[in-house]
Amino acid sequence: MASKSAYPVLGLLALLVLAPMAGLISVSHLASADAGIGELWQSRYIRRVLVFSLWQASLSTLLSTGFGLLVARAFAHRGEFRLRALMLKLFGLPLVVPAVVAVMGVVSVYGSNGWIPLGRSLYGLNGILLAHVFFNLPLAVRLLLPVWQSIPAHHWQMSDALGLSAWQQWKYLEWPALRETLPGVALLIFMLCLTSFAVVLTLGGGPRSTTLEVAIYQALRFDFDPPRAVILALLQLILCILIAWISSRFQRLPDVEITISNSSLRKSISNQLINTLFISIAAVFVGMPLLAMFIDAINGPLLQVLGNARLWSSAGFSLMIGLCAASLSIVAGWALLDTSTDLALANQKRGANLIELAGSIVYVVPPLVIGTGLFILMMPWLNVFEWTFPVVILVNAMMGLPFVIRCLGPPMRQSKMRYNRLCQSLALSGWNRFKFVDWPLLRKPLGLSAALVSALAMGDLGVIALFGSTDTSTLPLLLYRQLSAYLIPQAAVTAGFLLVFCLLVFWLLETGIGGKSRVEY
Amino acid sequence: MLNINALAFSYQSKDRQSEPMLFDLQARAGEILSLIGPSGSGKSTLLGLIAGFNAPISGQILVDAEEIQHLRPAERPVTIVFQEHNLFPHLDVFTNIALGINPSLKLSQAQRSRIIQALDKLGIGEFEKAMPGQLSGGQKQRVAIARALVREHSILLLDEPFAALGPALRGEMIELLKSIVEAQQMVALLVSHQPSDALQASETTAFVYDGRVIAQESTRKLLKESKLLEVNEYLGYL
Repeated sequence: MASKSAYPVLGLLALLVLAPMAGLISVSHLASADAGIGELWQSRYIRRVLVFSLWQASLSTLLSTGFGLLVARAFAHRGEFRLRALMLKLFGLPLVVPAVVAVMGVVSVYGSNGWIPLGRSLYGLNGILLAHVFFNLPLAVRLLLPVWQSIPAHHWQMSDALGLSAWQQWKYLEWPALRETLPGVALLIFMLCLTSFAVVLTLGGGPRSTTLEVAIYQALRFDFDPPRAVILALLQLILCILIAWISSRFQRLPDVEITISNSSLRKSISNQLINTLFISIAAVFVGMPLLAMFIDAINGPLLQVLGNARLWSSAGFSLMIGLCAASLSIVAGWALLDTSTDLALANQKRGANLIELAGSIVYVVPPLVIGTGLFILMMPWLNVFEWTFPVVILVNAMMGLPFVIRCLGPPMRQSKMRYNRLCQSLALSGWNRFKFVDWPLLRKPLGLSAALVSALAMGDLGVIALFGSTDTSTLPLLLYRQLSAYLIPQAAVTAGFLLVFCLLVFWLLETGIGGKSRVEY
Repeated sequence: MLNINALAFSYQSKDRQSEPMLFDLQARAGEILSLIGPSGSGKSTLLGLIAGFNAPISGQILVDAEEIQHLRPAERPVTIVFQEHNLFPHLDVFTNIALGINPSLKLSQAQRSRIIQALDKLGIGEFEKAMPGQLSGGQKQRVAIARALVREHSILLLDEPFAALGPALRGEMIELLKSIVEAQQMVALLVSHQPSDALQASETTAFVYDGRVIAQESTRKLLKESKLLEVNEYLGYL
């Protein structure tokens, strides 16, 4: 019989999604009565925001996926080389680098006073594209690389035996394999860029370069115009549902895999050189902003910033948010997976998939939309700024759920498949089962999940920007305020501190919880 | 003594329900009853029903005249040895066996001694502290049988436990099992795909076909002289 642990979590998720949406919809009626909903829809500002949102997301996707494809192919064809593992680790870094920190790095490299100045001002579309490619090029590489692994070795041998050229190999072997995965990867990146908040908030150049997410925030925090925020949030929601629906038509994304067996790939010297060049350019592109940001931090007013009590209180709040969100996300993810794996083992795959999809609801309903709904729902009854931390923790825990499901799901399924019956027959259940079976077998993915969710929540500048006040600040919010006040040297130190802090917490949780696994599958 | 009377079961999913299976079977203490039959005929399902992993629609499972079909798996006097994954890979041999006695691992001195004795009896006394990853396939299955031994349950279910072993080792393991089952007066059911296993292990063998036990008789007679079309088809005589 399947565990029922998922149902309270599903209820909570439904409440967290439906309540804000109900809030948005109820206020949209007010909007129509107040300002005229038709007027708002037809407003030039909203149309411009919508077009810019789609335009920047399309360009970011094209650049990230296009270059990501070239670099992933270069990795696959280059085979084993000394720095390969290090390079792939570097490509994993953007996943835990807070967006606002990456923005600092991008400005340090490509800004008007940077190492490679790109024109007079980086703020606007150029800056947004650079930052989005910084984040999504490595993601595309890591998602596309396993496609080459899926091509059987004997297909390469056969293509060699038939004397196929590199172009023919691409056409007959690589492209057919990629064709199934590429749309899914591109749509995921499009969705991430469409809902990107911190990058556009910090690098967007005013009303001309504003996306829906940032416009929602500005409508609520600066113009205090809830009806406009509602229209924007509904627009964002419709777009996300549309993209999620299109994504569901394509095959599922592969699991992120960074090992590849490619001994049978053909290796000519000219190809090796080209592949090395692609990999090097990508590594420099990803590594340079991080390096520049560190150099700026070291050269900044270190003692002044580190001696500021606000930095430490913000760090404390960030840590609290990170740890609470990770704990909540893991408990919820475990509950969902417990039921979904039971259902999958009982051959009820549809139910199992639905439960796991519910855990990824945050891809469809963006956190800022949830935040806006909650803000509007709570506003008449409560002082929303007194509820900052519970709301930020809840929304960040929701944002972490897809990662928990992705990290913990496969090993949990495998463990249950192998040992469920043995545990049943040995009367191993409850605490004994957790202590002797689940914990030792799953602590590694649990550690990775905790580390990922904590780092993401600590670096998030989304809902906190909406709910944060002068009394309650996290490190990303402090950094954003320093940037807004043009305290750039101080911001550089804060950015460096935030990055080191996130990486330290990531490492501590991953190794502390994950431990040294003795499990040999 | 194990008696299975009109035990009905059907696999159900949202979209479909499989043809109902209906089992009748008797097995005596002190000997191994082999279950043979084509893949998907219901052999492992029958073991799952006895172990409590599958819930029957109706019918009885009697162990020494007591009904057990309503009991949870852990409450049944049943130990099962699977083809693989009988041991937790992160626990040493001693702990893997100890979990079979007490899931909280709080053991008395007598229970500890019993584990050591069982390991010695199965010829793996020196592997007490070894991890499963350090053992061969045969040694792993010996550990699983040692656990069955210390649990002292009256029913032992063996779901193709020797499928991954070579012929010589299989023969050796079957002889070992026979002596244990006889000494402990257990009822043992052995699912196997190899008729030769049944010949060596059992005086009596049951033939399972399409969710039913269609024959239960002397192993030699069943394998050499059966007139049943299904048996001859399975053995490749047709």
